Amino acid sequence: MTTCLEFRRRVGAEPFADDAEIDAHRRGCAACARYQDELRAMDRVIQRALAIDPSPRERAATAPAAAPGRRGLFAIAASLVAGAAVSLLLLVGVPRESVARAVIGHVVHEPGAMAATAPMPVAEVGKVLEPHGLRLRAGAGEVTYATNCPLDGHIVPHLVVRTAGGPVTVLMLKHREIAKRMRFDEQGYQGVVLPAPKGSIAIVGQDVSDLDGVAQRVFDAVDWNG
Amino acid sequence: MNRGDGETERRRRFGSLCESLRPDLLRFAWWLGRDQGLAEDVVQEAMLRAWKSFDSLTDESKARSWLLTIVRRELARVYEKKRPELADVDDLVAAESVALAAPEDERVEEMRNAIFRLEEEYREPLVLQVLLGYSTKEIADLMGMQQGAVLTRLFRARAKLRQRLGLGTEPEP
Repeated sequence: MTTCLEFRRRVGAEPFADDAEIDAHRRGCAACARYQDELRAMDRVIQRALAIDPSPRERAATAPAAAPGRRGLFAIAASLVAGAAVSLLLLVGVPRESVARAVIGHVVHEPGAMAATAPMPVAEVGKVLEPHGLRLRAGAGEVTYATNCPLDGHIVPHLVVRTAGGPVTVLMLKHREIAKRMRFDEQGYQGVVLPAPKGSIAIVGQDVSDLDGVAQRVFDAVDWNG
Repeated sequence: MNRGDGETERRRRFGSLCESLRPDLLRFAWWLGRDQGLAEDVVQEAMLRAWKSFDSLTDESKARSWLLTIVRRELARVYEKKRPELADVDDLVAAESVALAAPEDERVEEMRNAIFRLEEEYREPLVLQVLLGYSTKEIADLMGMQQGAVLTRLFRARAKLRQRLGLGTEPEP
């Protein structure tokens, strides 16, 4: 026979417990049944509370502002000021570290990609890019490596392009929106990430001469509606 | 299937798993670390590790638990290297205000803040149970604890939330 105390301890840990003894006690004790109902209602709120937007910063940097809600004028004014400050921080700082880390992390873990020197047939490069709706026009340089790689939980095209300034790794990050051009120089790699019509594109190399010019030529060669 | 096709298929399967599980992994890492940048870095690193040992995952129906374990270990590894300075929880709340906001429902926002302020030992099993749908047995396995200890933590987690939200008090287990 389950006591009220045992019942409350049990449903306090598992409000939706499927248990014959719990059900029997519930039927005979209105107070405990009410207690369980309260916990179940609270769990529905907990569930909604836990389901945060997994990438609010990226969205905050790109999404249009929501319409004002139920809050007062002061709250709206305060949130606008805070929002502007947060947005500035987001646009300037936060994505930079994350994108750079993701890109460098990937390049470091695939060193063999840079070793290839033989040009890849255009058709082979096309096979990698086409599923993403992308195409590479002439002008970027010779592609010596092209494959699809997991990055950030997405599959992204990964190319190595031999340019006049040296070989560069190109990662097309359609899933990753950024607000403005970023540069990074970490772990011996220099990189540029450019906002693209669909997401962004990262161009990374080591001691590449005129990296910005190289990055721009690669960017110009990509057809984002290929 | 030649070797190239096999590798392409392997990448596709891994990518597909990551694509579908990444939101949950990010949520889990965020609720544990309470820092968006940290959560993103931990999940990214965890995925790199997962990719390297993808062949050890023989049953893809267990991919979520497998990846959650890797995320959990990765977070522990980060804390081992550099234990974050003790921060005032109000500062953490302010720093994570974008994620904590729920303008559509005040109750959700209050609850989110209350959960955010729970001690990690109560927050983690609650996230695993309510958000990810794990049984207390599965939580015990993942956290390396006895099932009874998990039940106690879950009871206390809800008791603390009820208390903080002014919903009543519970009997001690």
